[in-house]
Amino acid sequence: MTAPVAAPAGPKMITLTIEGRTVSVPEGTSILEASKLVGVLVPHYCYHPGLPVAGVCRMCLVEVEKAPKLAPACATSVMEGNVVHVHSPKALDARKGVLEMLLINHPLDCPICDQAGECELQDYTFQEGRADSRYQEPKRFNPVEDFGGDVLYVPNRCILCTRCVRFMDAVAEEPVLCVSERGDRAVISKFEGDDLTHAWAGNVVDLCPVGALLSKDFLNKARAWELDRAASICPNCTQGCNSVLEVRDNTVVRMKPRPNEDVNQFYLCDTGRLDYRWLNRPDRAEQPMVRMHDALDRVEWEAAIAAAAALITGAKVHVVAAPTLSNEALFLLERIITGQGGTGRFAVETGPEAPLAGVHDLSLRAERAANVRGAELLGFVKGDDPLAGLTSEHVLIVADHDVDRLDPVALRRAKALIVIGTALDAPLAHADVVLPIANMAEEEGSFTNLRGRVQRFFQAKAAPGMARPSWFVLADLAAACGAATPTWAPAEVFAQLARTHAHFDGMTWAGLGLKGALPASAEATA
Amino acid sequence: MSHGPSASGGALARAPHAHDDTPHEPVFVGDRAKDLDAILLKYPTKMAALLPALWIVQEARGWVSEGGMAEVARVLDLTPAYVKGVVSFYTMYHQHPVGKYFVQVCTTTPCNVCGAEDVVNAFLQHTRCGELGATSADGRFTVIEVECLGACGFATPVMINSDFLESVTPDTVPDILAELT
Amino acid sequence: MGYPHQSHPREAVVLSKYFGDAEARTLAGWKARGGYQALEQALGMAPADIVTIVKDSGLRGRGGAGFPTGIKWSFMKPGDGKPHYLCCNADESEPGTFKDREIMRWTPHALVEGCAIGAYAIGAETAYIYIRGEFTEPLEWMNKAVKEAYAAGILGPNAMGTGKRVDVHVHKGAGAYICGEETALMNSLEGRRGNPRIKPPFPAVAGLFGKPTTINNVETLVAAAQIVKQGAAWYKQWGRADNPKSTGTKLFSVCGNIARPGNYEVPMGFPFKDFLWELCGGPLPGRTIKAVIPGGSSVPIITAEEAEGALMDYEGFVAAGTMLGSGGVIVFDDAQNMVKQIARLARFYAHESCAQCSQCREGTAWTTRILERIRDGQGTMEDLDTLLSIGESMTGKTICVLSDSCAVPVSSGIAKFRHEFEALIPKSRHRVAVSAGAA
Repeated sequence: MTAPVAAPAGPKMITLTIEGRTVSVPEGTSILEASKLVGVLVPHYCYHPGLPVAGVCRMCLVEVEKAPKLAPACATSVMEGNVVHVHSPKALDARKGVLEMLLINHPLDCPICDQAGECELQDYTFQEGRADSRYQEPKRFNPVEDFGGDVLYVPNRCILCTRCVRFMDAVAEEPVLCVSERGDRAVISKFEGDDLTHAWAGNVVDLCPVGALLSKDFLNKARAWELDRAASICPNCTQGCNSVLEVRDNTVVRMKPRPNEDVNQFYLCDTGRLDYRWLNRPDRAEQPMVRMHDALDRVEWEAAIAAAAALITGAKVHVVAAPTLSNEALFLLERIITGQGGTGRFAVETGPEAPLAGVHDLSLRAERAANVRGAELLGFVKGDDPLAGLTSEHVLIVADHDVDRLDPVALRRAKALIVIGTALDAPLAHADVVLPIANMAEEEGSFTNLRGRVQRFFQAKAAPGMARPSWFVLADLAAACGAATPTWAPAEVFAQLARTHAHFDGMTWAGLGLKGALPASAEATA
Repeated sequence: MSHGPSASGGALARAPHAHDDTPHEPVFVGDRAKDLDAILLKYPTKMAALLPALWIVQEARGWVSEGGMAEVARVLDLTPAYVKGVVSFYTMYHQHPVGKYFVQVCTTTPCNVCGAEDVVNAFLQHTRCGELGATSADGRFTVIEVECLGACGFATPVMINSDFLESVTPDTVPDILAELT
Repeated sequence: MGYPHQSHPREAVVLSKYFGDAEARTLAGWKARGGYQALEQALGMAPADIVTIVKDSGLRGRGGAGFPTGIKWSFMKPGDGKPHYLCCNADESEPGTFKDREIMRWTPHALVEGCAIGAYAIGAETAYIYIRGEFTEPLEWMNKAVKEAYAAGILGPNAMGTGKRVDVHVHKGAGAYICGEETALMNSLEGRRGNPRIKPPFPAVAGLFGKPTTINNVETLVAAAQIVKQGAAWYKQWGRADNPKSTGTKLFSVCGNIARPGNYEVPMGFPFKDFLWELCGGPLPGRTIKAVIPGGSSVPIITAEEAEGALMDYEGFVAAGTMLGSGGVIVFDDAQNMVKQIARLARFYAHESCAQCSQCREGTAWTTRILERIRDGQGTMEDLDTLLSIGESMTGKTICVLSDSCAVPVSSGIAKFRHEFEALIPKSRHRVAVSAGAA
């Protein structure tokens, strides 16, 4: 007998037994959601926690004692004293029947299907479906259709779960998809000329439980089982959508949303998800360099750090830091600025906003960098001209900001130029020291989103050459300048940050976990 | 999109809506706009007027084109895709042009046992449509099988446009067609 | 008066009394036949009292499910501050059924009156009559009747001068059998695809436009009007003495291979044998009756022998292994091939499946394909097992019962006419009996 599982407190609690495990859940909870709490997955297709319940796939049928018929777990609310059997012979039989029906017209083309390996039709069939098919008739055929945007529709694999239709209707609030025709002629359809160009339309590909909706961007790129995955944060705007970076052969091949009820629910916008190629750019700064005479020479890290520290010591600094840097990197830069005197500035690219209508406070934000809020909290000043106020007294530190976007004339005002960056830009020729760093996919760190939520991202791939994580490089530099005590891990940097900056007060690296944290003050008012 | 073998296929499965490049002449002008306004008064939501609005389009144009769907979507604050989903659900809306006389012969079981298939064949033969769902060369006729028309005691019921004929037999088909201008 | 035949003396002609009487179609004609007295009476009563009378009468839903009408009406809580709606289900599409069509064609005002009474009884100011689009003539008569009723002040903000508001609107369907399912009907009326909804919530809680709603069949509402006028006891005079669960008269539509097809109104519990042979004239000359589907195509097929012993009420047909359903009697004679006709029925359901539930969308089509293959002489014995097995997958597992309805004629057909299936299966494909010793 398993101990009862405690569930979050609700208005009225209902106690029931699922697969022999007792659970108390708030009134109105579905059997399917209650089952999750006791670790029982009820197989399902049409149900998705972010969408209105449809109850059409009939896959989640479970046996409820004393009920006359099997109940769809997604659409059936728990009742006091329910005894639910998910894996009873009756329930298994029903699901086997559904699986057989879903496969009769399916082309069974897993070997050439992008969804293979992450396909719920494949998974459940393997788990509890029939080994053979009794279907002997000709299969239905409909051609592949380009839905526009990033989406391709393969109707032969479609199980008509309508998740895509419901997403566009209830979440995007722009019903450009429909079920067309009826009976076994039914297909998902759109209106001629009205493409899936909505800024969040790409989510229908993630929502599709089978290989019917595919990403054109990801088409034939990789098999699901070849991918390494790391929890990340979308770096492409200030919303801070939780994401997963999927990597094959040290190359990011896809970015998908990672659920976070408080930030992005289950979604990622098309702009965000498709803007990952820069994480793979090949023209990278791979080795520290120091100006010797008139040219940049490749040197060991110790020599480069020492050279940079020598330039900084005794001088004022002007830091141009991109808001793409982690809180940890920005914090260490802030230590150097505080230690030496000087200013920190940043500029941020902007673009049109694109809210997702059906989700509160979720939008592609105008500011297209992940850590604008973090930079501001750490004292960096936002402005169009990040070189404003730069004089010949300053050593200019350009951190992760494209040097070629800075005014080359203004740049020369600086006493010296230290570039801490990822790319091998032509203007690096002006630099006195170049410190190559990892990009956000190659290191771990944290970002602060526009609502002040601090969220961690994890390393997804290896950095090229001798490039080091930004926190590592800056921890060494700050220590060498006497601006900070040495630190050996991002957690230690964050601990220092949390001690010194009110916004981060009380937060711990471990405590941020996979969902992040809001400052205590915001939690209290929330 | 073409459809492969379908159980209820053959003639019953209609070709999906035809793509029509001719500019759409608005339907909801003048009296038809007033008719729609009167219909809207009957319901608490605009969406509820969708089926009636589509009927107005079909009565005016003989079928519901993409342009018609888009116009209905506009006047009822819906999206064209939503309207398409609804149009394609209901078999009475024509998603492509049909003959001047649209002949629907009930062949569901109760009529089938009374010889409805012979009635279908008689219509196909005398209208020179050749096959179910096709329009005759002169554009006058389209003949389809229809599912139960709800007049099973009067086998075989046949609808020609909105005229409802009872007790049609193969023998009466020529006379019926002769009366059509 | 009967239609299209003369009424038989053994009929109990209440609802069909004016079938074939063209004058009954007009407001004046209807009033001359006692029309709208029931509505006038009802509007003078407390709605709860109307519900009680209907409850006491034992009237049950005539659309197919047979749910007690008064109890259904009592689910509508008066004074909850929300608009209530009455939907009249005139989407009569169940193969074999054509009774509501005749009610609307001949006595449209009877339905207007029934709707008005029903609406008032459940606290609704608006009733919608959802009529299938193919019923062009009933639509015409109903529209005319509603217009007349408004012009005469019977309907509107001051119905019959009582100060009470009763609106009745006619809504035209567009070709979808499934819209006869009550929740699909509501979706269709709202301008959606006619997809059945998951229950709960039940219509009485959240129905049309999300508001408390009652859906009643045409015949039910017309009968309710008569009950209000003449009393529960009057209605209960019809029915078997030993079966108080089925009361009143019932319209049966008869079609297929029968001498006198048409609508017949008989007391509940009428002997089916007398009905088929005496009232309907039995089989066509030189033929014998082989099978009967007594309640619309969704109820089990029974053999002629089983039919002869049945009594025509809800319980009587259940005892005979089938159901009363919508009262659409389909008769098959010995000239018919049951496989062909069952395949044709399956094709109907495949055509009408709304496409929501997996088992129904795929299963109705699969069933049809197998049956048509057997019909064409390409079947195997295993196909019969497969048919029964997928029928099992399609039964009791979907949102509505269309899927079940497709499986019903298949399973009952194979059970009762297996020899006809086997006769179509090539001998080479018959299962070879393996003798015990061979193993």
